[in-house]
Amino acid sequence: MHGNSLRRGSIAGLPAGSGGALPALVLVGLFFVVPVVALLLRSVTDPEPGLQNYAALFGSGTYVRVFLNTFLVAAVVTAVTIVVAFPVAWMLAIMPPAFGSIVFGIIILSMWTNLLTRTYAWMVLLQRTGVINRTLMGMGITQEPLPLINNLTGVTIGMVYIMLPFMILPLVGTLRAIDPMTLRAAALCGATPFQAFRRILLPLSLPGIAAGGLMVFVMSLGYFVTPALLGGTSNMMLAEMIAQTVQSLLNWGLGSAAAFVLLVVTMALYVLQLRLVGGKRPAGGL
Amino acid sequence: MTKPFLSIRAVRKTFGAFVAVHDVTIDVPKGEFLTFLGPSGSGKSTTLYAIAGFQDPSSGDVLLEDKSLLSVPSHKRNIGMVFQRYTLFPHLSVAENVAFPLRVRHRPDAEVKRKVADMLSLVRLENFADRFPGALSGGQQQRVALARALAYDPPILLMDEPLSALDKKLRQEIQAEIRRIHRETGVTILYVTHDQEEALHLSDRIALFKEGRIEQIGTGEDLYVRPASEFVAGFIGNSNFLPAEHLETAAGAATVRLADGSIVTGLTAAEPFSKGQKVRLMVRPEALSLTPGPASAALAVDIVDTAFFGDRRRVVARTPGGDEIDVRPTSDTIDPAGATAGSGQRIFFDPAAAFLFPA
Repeated sequence: MHGNSLRRGSIAGLPAGSGGALPALVLVGLFFVVPVVALLLRSVTDPEPGLQNYAALFGSGTYVRVFLNTFLVAAVVTAVTIVVAFPVAWMLAIMPPAFGSIVFGIIILSMWTNLLTRTYAWMVLLQRTGVINRTLMGMGITQEPLPLINNLTGVTIGMVYIMLPFMILPLVGTLRAIDPMTLRAAALCGATPFQAFRRILLPLSLPGIAAGGLMVFVMSLGYFVTPALLGGTSNMMLAEMIAQTVQSLLNWGLGSAAAFVLLVVTMALYVLQLRLVGGKRPAGGL
Repeated sequence: MTKPFLSIRAVRKTFGAFVAVHDVTIDVPKGEFLTFLGPSGSGKSTTLYAIAGFQDPSSGDVLLEDKSLLSVPSHKRNIGMVFQRYTLFPHLSVAENVAFPLRVRHRPDAEVKRKVADMLSLVRLENFADRFPGALSGGQQQRVALARALAYDPPILLMDEPLSALDKKLRQEIQAEIRRIHRETGVTILYVTHDQEEALHLSDRIALFKEGRIEQIGTGEDLYVRPASEFVAGFIGNSNFLPAEHLETAAGAATVRLADGSIVTGLTAAEPFSKGQKVRLMVRPEALSLTPGPASAALAVDIVDTAFFGDRRRVVARTPGGDEIDVRPTSDTIDPAGATAGSGQRIFFDPAAAFLFPA
């Protein structure tokens, strides 16, 4: 009662303490909302008023292919990240906290390392005469270098590595909330390890997978550095295209239109995820 | 003698240097309700987990109808289990929880449907089929867990302190349900609890665990009336213990001298004692009375407090040596004149109902 009345005594129905968020809100308003509106305006006014930039974007096979490729890369990266992150997250969820914090430390440390450095490191590893290819050939497993770089494979490897923490962290939270006894119960009920995973663990971890998956997918859609360095010219991604359009071709209108489409798609995905995961949580539960 | 249905043979479990279970051997006939009773850390749950397949024993064997279970993984043991915490699948409805064991066995839909209906009526939750576990009370969740564990007609049902998370009233209600379900299904039940009342209420036999060993196994009455050790006497029911000195044992009847110098004869000794050995005399509160019986031994006491509960009376007495004695005369021994606090009084017991344990 006492605490409640304290919290209620605030301006305009907002919880007390909301005032502290004001600087951040102003910052976002000034440096996000305003530029986005400017971007939108530019895409329909540059070089002249009209929707010709959008028409060019969707009318040209090249641009549509870049769009499709962007989604393809983001989807592949998300899928692979989920598959790679799940066992790590599960291990972190069930291991003793002391070991868990060490593994967490390693994951966080990799996030703190400079992105460009990590991507260049992958170039060194993946190139034709790189460590991986030389090792494989030296061991006689392959006869000639595998095409690991300047293609989808390279982008996927590099991006999955960078995206892993963003998948692992939300997933660990979800998995930790699952009582391991539930899985023992499933086993005694006669579920094989695969059935227990498929029918119990996977459905229960869906909120974490969805949260992490959306984060990875959206970040991948707009990613620039890694696809630019590890990808090939044949599978350019949207961010790279925007950079080229603006920097090399100085076509601000077209670049703005592409950026705006990317933003709309991202927001639409976010709303979709809210609908799918936010609304469908089973009543109560663990 | 018929072959035991479930046979636990010299099961031993060690964690490093710590021995959690010392060579436990029990034979369980089909349809029995056997309870593993004991304080926490006495090895009762560890023994149960060895049967469930969660923890392989360090040595020994578990046989079901003469076949070893140890090499069989949990999911192929076909054993039902109800856990201490509610382990229902939160994303599945009550009906789908109960159907789960049948679905993973790929049983036909019609059979699953019929069986789920049967099980929900067994636990009296027919109207809850479409609810989710989160919308059920603790007692209802445990009943769903029971239905799920019995849905595939397992030969054995393991229950690991299934009532410990429930409040007292609900516990008694579910105990009655468990008794009824055991009667109706005839399933063999191994039940773990630290609650002696629960064990006495439910079980055909009780195995009392202490420090990884079975201290005594028998019916509740065996353990109560003929406790094999001071631990059993203290764990099951209430007991009074008085220090004494063993004088002699002749023809199965022991004689001791109590701290106040009085001699009591005709006692049952738990093991052979030597002359002069320090022993402890155990007598149940309801074996004591305020009026002398036909073959009574008497204790000189001060009565500290008395209380009347209608069907029984409770008297707290103290010996000259300072030992407090709990006296609860039953209705046929209740003193009609009542009892008043005061010194220099006597309480009586039949020596045949008292036991001697090593001090």
